[in-house]
Amino acid sequence: MKNKNINDLELSTILGTASDEFSNDKNYVVQSFTFRLTLSFINLYALILIALFFMVKGNLVLGINNNFLETGFLSVLNSRASLIFLLLISLNISAYFNLGFKYVCLTMMVYMINSAIDNAVLFSSFMHLTDRPYISVFNVTRPLFIISLFWVFIIHKDKKKITKNLYY
Amino acid sequence: MSHYLELSKFFWLSMSITYAFYFSKLYTYLTIPELNVELNNVDQIIITMKLATVRLGIVAMVLSVYPVILFRFFKYAKYLTVALTALAVAIYIDDVFVLTDVIQYPDSGLIPLIESFRPIMITCLLLMSIELTFRPVPVGLYYEK
Repeated sequence: MKNKNINDLELSTILGTASDEFSNDKNYVVQSFTFRLTLSFINLYALILIALFFMVKGNLVLGINNNFLETGFLSVLNSRASLIFLLLISLNISAYFNLGFKYVCLTMMVYMINSAIDNAVLFSSFMHLTDRPYISVFNVTRPLFIISLFWVFIIHKDKKKITKNLYY
Repeated sequence: MSHYLELSKFFWLSMSITYAFYFSKLYTYLTIPELNVELNNVDQIIITMKLATVRLGIVAMVLSVYPVILFRFFKYAKYLTVALTALAVAIYIDDVFVLTDVIQYPDSGLIPLIESFRPIMITCLLLMSIELTFRPVPVGLYYEK
């Protein structure tokens, strides 16, 4: 029902203003398709990595050489899986609320680089790439994960771009 | 130069403490006498020293780059400081919770003393990160080139 006291100009002004400037629906940042795709890849990669850690821990997958698990590597895998899971949750929460995403992403990136250096220094002497091929695949492709985190860090949009309303 | 950056005295104090800590650590690890290393758990100590050497190499590189970033490319100093804080915290968590059974720091020389100061250094880095992240941005001044 149209109020007879309001003319067409007033009505269009109210609707136009309400839909553009005072709308809560538009008060968020829309991330690019590349960002969403890369974030999905990061989530998938980390979740498969965590699942693999727990499968190795539960001895659900066989390896060619099982001896290296007795050298303290299993406890390291366990702690790393828990920490990566916590960081992944933080990353998704910060991406959802668009709050401090860059800092969480930077922290995760640094943590992954540090754990890669630790693994290379501590376990490279008694662990061969062919001992556990599926773990090796993740160790070899870790730079890809770090590059993805760096890419997401760069293309993330913090604030909504202020655009001039050309119609009013 | 510092008055252009308008950082507080706490920042410079924290930065000095962090630099002092890392210089002391570098000195301690570079001058550790081999005879002072205990004979028990030799493998663990050797692997720890190997890891410490790699980490100190990274630290030495960062210590020399940080002032350049801070004074010349101030826009990126915030992210570098947060990354360094994250690295220090990650290394501390790794040493205390993750690699407990794998590594062991030698109980001789200045190493235990230096390692006990690590939480203070992390606190200083956190203070620096907080200041660089939450400091008000002055209007009308150009900080970056």
